[in-house]
Amino acid sequence: MPTKLSRRDFVRLCAGSAAAISLSGFLVPFIKEAAAAGGPPVIWIQGGSCTGCSISILNTVHPDIEKVITEVIGLHYHPNLSAGAGSLVIDEMYRVAAENSKKFYLVVEGAVPVADDGAYCIIGERNGHHLTFVQAVKELGSQAAGILNFGTCSAYGGFPATPPNPTECKPVKEIVKNVPIVNVPGCPPHPDWMVGTIAHVVLYNELPELDAFGRPTMFFDKIIHDNCQRRQYFDNAIFAKNFGEPGCMLELGCKGPFAHCDSTTRLWNGGTNWCVKAGGVCIGCTEPQFPAWPIYERLPEMPVAPGITATVDQIGGVLAAAAVVGIGGHLAGNIYTGRIGSKKNQDMKEGDE
Amino acid sequence: MKVVLMDDRHSVWIRIFHWINMVAIMLLIFTGFYIHAPQSFPLFGNMDGARMVHFAMAYVLCFGVVLRVYYAIAAKDAHNIVFNPKKDIPNLPSMMKYYLFMSNSHPDYGKYNPGQKAMYTGWLFMALIQIVTGFILYKPQVAFWANLGDYLGGDIAIRLVHLIVTWLFVLTVLAHVYLDVSEGVPVLKSMFTGKIPRDFHGDQSADKSA
Ligand code: HEM
Ligand code: SF4
Ligand code: SF4
Repeated sequence: MPTKLSRRDFVRLCAGSAAAISLSGFLVPFIKEAAAAGGPPVIWIQGGSCTGCSISILNTVHPDIEKVITEVIGLHYHPNLSAGAGSLVIDEMYRVAAENSKKFYLVVEGAVPVADDGAYCIIGERNGHHLTFVQAVKELGSQAAGILNFGTCSAYGGFPATPPNPTECKPVKEIVKNVPIVNVPGCPPHPDWMVGTIAHVVLYNELPELDAFGRPTMFFDKIIHDNCQRRQYFDNAIFAKNFGEPGCMLELGCKGPFAHCDSTTRLWNGGTNWCVKAGGVCIGCTEPQFPAWPIYERLPEMPVAPGITATVDQIGGVLAAAAVVGIGGHLAGNIYTGRIGSKKNQDMKEGDE
Repeated sequence: MKVVLMDDRHSVWIRIFHWINMVAIMLLIFTGFYIHAPQSFPLFGNMDGARMVHFAMAYVLCFGVVLRVYYAIAAKDAHNIVFNPKKDIPNLPSMMKYYLFMSNSHPDYGKYNPGQKAMYTGWLFMALIQIVTGFILYKPQVAFWANLGDYLGGDIAIRLVHLIVTWLFVLTVLAHVYLDVSEGVPVLKSMFTGKIPRDFHGDQSADKSA
């Protein structure tokens, strides 16, 4: 092992690090050391994405994070950060992959558009032909020791894969099978989640422990709702009706009750704030179905007729009212026909056959 | 005073399970609506208490369902309450005619008519749906429930199903209470005492000897 940090300590550090220290900043020297001692190279490719995940990792407070991720950890290719451009860089990327077959790690940012042979996402040129993103993911992914999906798009499809999805975006797991995958979802992911995951594979050359959806448990085993600073409001049923009010954000659409991440303690922007504390709602950006729900509504409405929707409560209320009217009508019928009421005994004999 | 001959209608176990499940389901519905919209259904003091009751009653419902199903099988009571399409569908028209006042009598269907059987069988499945969706919502950090939730369409879809089935419970409970009580007070009483007057169904049942 190139480092004195034991894996157990590492995981404890990642999982526990409070806002007091910047995890990424703390890990950088260890990553440098590991890389200098010949850790596995990392290649970063980007497809159907908004580059938000790259921007997020650059937001690490450590001053020379850019230098670290481009030079030191052996991040041999990153579409925004590589010094070179064009087929030169693409060729270099393929060379590194071939030389380090089954040793390097591939970071994928963005969903993979597969419609029309992937023609909607061309990331460069190789051997005089267009290089589609789906081709790159397939060719590089199948040679990698593991794939690190950074962001909900590559992990689960995210925004690009949400209907109508004309370019048929897919998550990476549907493109490359049989290669171990780590999902680091988030829209975007916290820099610590990405740096921590890279550090884990570079330092220990193996994947971190994962949850049911392939997420590192050191970052994603907590439910937002269970650690939220507004939880006291929830328990006392004090709900904000408008943004800017004190209270739990549930009725404004908060997805904290099922969202997994550690924002509540890790905090964003160098330990400044996080989604709900900042007065927003948790949008559940780390969940496999994100963003297939109304962000500022608690539950989606149901279609009742073409182009018309209603809440479940509206539909239920109307049906319950109809049931009460029906019961009233039936009761009247029962009394009128004498099945109930004073005429009952007499009718009983008549009805008796 | 005339001697009223009483027949056994509900064993003590049936009565116990009926009232346990009734209490559990009613409390689940009330706490559920409070959890859903505490300002529109201000039935409880706070979320904490309502959720605690909801989860406690959730476990009661689990046991209630398991025990009731076990009883139905062990005491050979299942044929009384399980909707059997082959036997019960042909009986539907005569039942509907009776309920819609198009005829004054109906054949003897056994303990329950096909509509009741359909409702009681439906409740079993509705309870199972609530239990499964409920535990998915309750334990999102347990891999088994998380996986199942993902497989079934994700937490929001699960939540929606949980709420829709709650409304189905509300509607069917309304119908159940009305239809059974309107059959006559002895029917309601029988769920407490277990007994019903021997000639009670004589008025509407054309074919008493069956
Ligand atoms: C007859 C049975 C049941 C009924 C009528 C019922 C009803 C409801 C309703 C209306 C809600 C609010 C839904 C929403 O707006 O999000 C709810 C929430 C919930 N129910 Fe049930 N439920 C039943 C059984 C169960 C069971 C068996 C469980 C198992 C643990 C369960 C667990 C939950 C959980 C965890 C929530 C969400 C609570 C929260 O987020 O704070 N329910 N239920
Ligand atoms: S704001 Fe969201 S995460 Fe916080 S307590 Fe309310 S529902 Fe839970
Ligand atoms: S708190 Fe919610 S919205 Fe914020 S990062 Fe976590 S999952 Fe995403």
